[in-house]
Amino acid sequence: MNKKLISYRVPRNLLVLVDLMAIFLLFIHNAENPDKFTLITGVSLVFIIYISNFILLKISSGDHYIFLIVTMLITLGIIMIYRIDPNLGAKQVVWVSAGIVAFFITYVIVKKIKDWDKWLKFYVIASMILFIFTLIFGQRIGGAKNWIKIGRFSFQPSEIIKLLFIFFVASYYTNQKKYNLDKKGGYKLFLVVYGFIGFLFLQKDLGAAAVFYLIFLSIQYVYEEDRKLILYNVFLAFVGALASYFIFDHVKIRIETWIDPWKYIDNKGYQITQSLFAIASGGFFGTGVGLGHPDFIPAVHTDFIFSAICEEMGIFAGIAVMMLFLILVYRGFKIAFSQENLFFRIVAFGISAMFGFQAFIIFGGVIKMIPLTGITLPFISYGGSSMIASFIALGILQVASEELDTEGEEENEQRA
Amino acid sequence: MYNIVSLAFKYLFIFIIYFFMFSIIRLIYLDIKGMGLNTYNKSTYLKLINQKDTLPFKIKEVYPIDKDVTIGRSNQNNICIKDPYISKQHMRIVEDEGDFYLEDLNSANGTFVNGDRVMDVVKLKNGDSIRLGQIEFLFVNRK
Repeated sequence: MNKKLISYRVPRNLLVLVDLMAIFLLFIHNAENPDKFTLITGVSLVFIIYISNFILLKISSGDHYIFLIVTMLITLGIIMIYRIDPNLGAKQVVWVSAGIVAFFITYVIVKKIKDWDKWLKFYVIASMILFIFTLIFGQRIGGAKNWIKIGRFSFQPSEIIKLLFIFFVASYYTNQKKYNLDKKGGYKLFLVVYGFIGFLFLQKDLGAAAVFYLIFLSIQYVYEEDRKLILYNVFLAFVGALASYFIFDHVKIRIETWIDPWKYIDNKGYQITQSLFAIASGGFFGTGVGLGHPDFIPAVHTDFIFSAICEEMGIFAGIAVMMLFLILVYRGFKIAFSQENLFFRIVAFGISAMFGFQAFIIFGGVIKMIPLTGITLPFISYGGSSMIASFIALGILQVASEELDTEGEEENEQRA
Repeated sequence: MYNIVSLAFKYLFIFIIYFFMFSIIRLIYLDIKGMGLNTYNKSTYLKLINQKDTLPFKIKEVYPIDKDVTIGRSNQNNICIKDPYISKQHMRIVEDEGDFYLEDLNSANGTFVNGDRVMDVVKLKNGDSIRLGQIEFLFVNRK
């Protein structure tokens, strides 16, 4: 019996095992005064993860691995966030539950409605409204003006706009023939996309701008018929990057601290050097959860969560996180390949590219491989809007993994 | 006490995470392996000649043929293809004493074997091309 429960044939049981171990660990940590709060948070997390995996197996005929991979990432993230700050950890459990609810709601809605590729204008207008909203009512948190506060809650509209953006580009390339009648459709698309990126520049949210650009470039590379547009795109991005280095102060700082953080260790380069110290002190197997000092790094629970994982669970766990993202992206591409519906094919490709690029930019940032830009690590970092948006994206990917029969039966009858 | 447990657990955590990944990769591997197996094991099948991407409806690359196969647009057929130029019950392929025969079921746009329209029944041999509606199949019989 016991052997069957913990077997490589049922990965979701392994997931529960990790959770139970983490709860046990937290329990010994506070052995003198065991608190109910920790126990309730942990147990509810285990239930949410196990049950949602189980439900998904029953209702969806598509891919069951992406959700498993994601729940593993979430588990690692929550263990780490809880260890850094129990209050944030408890909140993160709430966000994850909200995210999973959003996942199932998205799954049902996206599957029900058939005409997603026909609303190109709606996607553009909705994102522009959100952008303008952010510019007027936005709050500045950490350099970029990209938060909207409503009452006690604040959220980042660019997370939602990212999805609208993928839908927009996908609906353009699905109906490429229709929009490209005068052979200038590609240029018009260019204009709109650079409008998006321009708004992000106005908010000084350069990490998001980079993600948007990379998603667009990869979709364009696959589907654009006019190949020289891709070259223009690369050239324009190069010019934009160069210009932003001279125009924006904080881009300059990021580049300087990337080239030599040790010179600025007492102010500008403090964050990145602490991150490097943390990763180095962990070694291969880490210091053990609760025995390191990841709290030395500023913003460790959002952008620098990866360094914390590396410090306390070891480089091996860090590599595991990267590999989990690798499998996730691979699965996403596989879904895109086998999907017959062109719109969902492009959307699946865009979403997996989004996960991949976002993970790459922040992994590269915290290990000082590329200049650091503050974006969240999907599914691991603390943050409500990022978590919910990532889960919505995952829900769309789940729909795309199924065989969609969008061919209207009646239409065929008439023509036969 | 806590330190010792935490030290032990860090190895366990890593072990389980990798074990988890191994199990998922194994499942994915089985998934990929399972796709090709059941179709390529058969020695008789129809292979699609058209580029799959150019067709606006759902179609598979390979259709295995059993003793009796009907093709058409309605769901009652063994092979259902939603091509508007294919009739509801278009054609059938029957096996008789090791040979395969193609029979046109009074389809509106006809079935063509090697370019000739099938009027009644035609005996199929390995390498014949079968055209119906917008699609073209290659008949493969390795026996």
